[in-house]
Amino acid sequence: MSTLRVDEVSVRFGALVALDAVSFTVEPGTVHAVIGPNGAGKSTCLNVLSGVYRPDAGRVYLDDRELTRLRPHHIARLGIARTFQNIEVSGAETVEDNLMLGRHHLMRPRLAATAFGLPSVAREERRHRTRVREIADFLGLSAALDRPAALLPYGLRKRLELARALAMEPRLLLLDEPVAGMDGAETAEMADVILRVRTELGVTVVLVEHDMGMVTRIADRVTVLDFGRRIFDGSPAAMAADPAVVEAYLGGAPSSTKEPA
Amino acid sequence: MSDRLNRLMPKAGWVAAVIVLLALPLYVDGFWLSAGLVAMAAAVGAVGLTLLVGAAGQLSFAHAFFLAVGAYGYACFSGEPGAATLGLGLPPALGAALAIAVTGALGLAFSPVASRLRGIYLGVASLSLVFVGQHLLHNLTGVTGGFNGRDTPMFTLAGFDVTGSEPPVTVAGVPFGATERLWYLGLVALAGAGVIARNLLRGRTGRALRMVRDSEVAAAVLGVDVRRSKATAFVVSSMFAGAAGVLSALALDRVVPDYFGLLLSVEFLAMIVIGGLGSVGGAVTGAAFVTLLPIVLARYSGVLPLVADAGSGGVDAAVLARFCYGAAVVLVILIQPDGLAGLGRRLRARLGPAVPSLQEST
Repeated sequence: MSTLRVDEVSVRFGALVALDAVSFTVEPGTVHAVIGPNGAGKSTCLNVLSGVYRPDAGRVYLDDRELTRLRPHHIARLGIARTFQNIEVSGAETVEDNLMLGRHHLMRPRLAATAFGLPSVAREERRHRTRVREIADFLGLSAALDRPAALLPYGLRKRLELARALAMEPRLLLLDEPVAGMDGAETAEMADVILRVRTELGVTVVLVEHDMGMVTRIADRVTVLDFGRRIFDGSPAAMAADPAVVEAYLGGAPSSTKEPA
Repeated sequence: MSDRLNRLMPKAGWVAAVIVLLALPLYVDGFWLSAGLVAMAAAVGAVGLTLLVGAAGQLSFAHAFFLAVGAYGYACFSGEPGAATLGLGLPPALGAALAIAVTGALGLAFSPVASRLRGIYLGVASLSLVFVGQHLLHNLTGVTGGFNGRDTPMFTLAGFDVTGSEPPVTVAGVPFGATERLWYLGLVALAGAGVIARNLLRGRTGRALRMVRDSEVAAAVLGVDVRRSKATAFVVSSMFAGAAGVLSALALDRVVPDYFGLLLSVEFLAMIVIGGLGSVGGAVTGAAFVTLLPIVLARYSGVLPLVADAGSGGVDAAVLARFCYGAAVVLVILIQPDGLAGLGRRLRARLGPAVPSLQEST
């Protein structure tokens, strides 16, 4: 099991400070939510963790390994998978081929052997296709395996992206707004899937989310950002009672008798 | 029953196509075989370009340059030593292989640029190679023969002339001369190129390239080394161009610098767009369309209305052909972005078994 440690990370875009010395630790086997109002720096945070952005200051460690200087594909190969807020799947490819992309770093790079169609390449391909079908089964995508991803309804495409991330056999899963744009039933289903990913597959989950209800239901720990600063870090129950969090979300002083949910 | 028929149909189609292509030299005269050879050479190059432009989403105008490297490389490696132009006198098969290897090496040398630029920006940067190539072809007279070019060395394989007539071969009463023999070399090269490209596109490499095309960030977080992928696509594509160059040199019998100009690169892009980007079959079809159209129009210019004889000042076959495939490119982009390959897929889907909808299959 591995611990993800974010240590005083700052990201600036010109004069705008997107993240201001943010620190938090994700314990192995937990669902850790990062929340905050629009523009709080949540997605920026995820982009730093997955290596898409390089922070201006601060460091990120996976156990003792520093991630901050690695390129995204190296971080992916260490077992950190992520999804995107605006689903990034190849629409023209079938669901199965999209999932196979998750296996990319687990397959041996053999250009010449692939070009000449050696049997060992076909065997490797078959082995990974079997595993990919199991993962599709786990997420209820089996019926859609042969469909082009673009033809799937929105909810299933979200799920496909999650399945592709799981196909990487990650230790740590970063989810960028997994229930954005979903209705109540779909949100509940996705929450259930995320909990199963944690308990049945033992994957640690970092979740960037807008939906407070979902966060309080499934997160073990919550980090709240506001204008790039960390204003809270603790349990979901403590968060609901925290005056700074309430102010950031409701834009006013907390009502004195607000009960934790 | 009809299910089995549906599965057998495409296979039967392939077998029929192969038989027709193999038997063609028995029935068709040298003119059409030569035209077909030029088309096959173009098809090998187009297949390579569709890997780069169609799959990886990288625009390149450098294809003509790499074709020239392949063509002139073969002429140098296997040319007669001691002639006016450089020749090393290597066995032709080795010379051809080395020419392809050199093309790949030059592609690799350019790949620091190719791997850092994306899409149209690579297109602009790759223009430079065409201009450098043209300059060198015209001025490096000791190697290239300058403006007038140089002859293509004869291709022999273990004492058997592929582009000659020794030892004499007669099949079913038809004497097999240079064109007939080269036809089969062309078929082998095209089949090889097609199979290699298809294997690459269907496997790990192709999936990664298409993801890089669709989103570099998404590809990277999936563990794909984006720069490496783009460099690989560029090198592989240039090696296909090298092979196409060798084949063109053999089909044309002489290599001249003007053939390898910017227009050739544009024609290659037209081929893969008309055929359908990223499709091997589409690239071959597009190549046949773009290379054969001017030849067919020229052949029948006497009977076709509106086609003037070449050099008479009117719209000659070459110009008319360019209008035609220009119009074809526009039509494809507006109406059928998947090109001829997409059209084929749609037809097959209509004729084939209905795909069960998602609701039914769950």
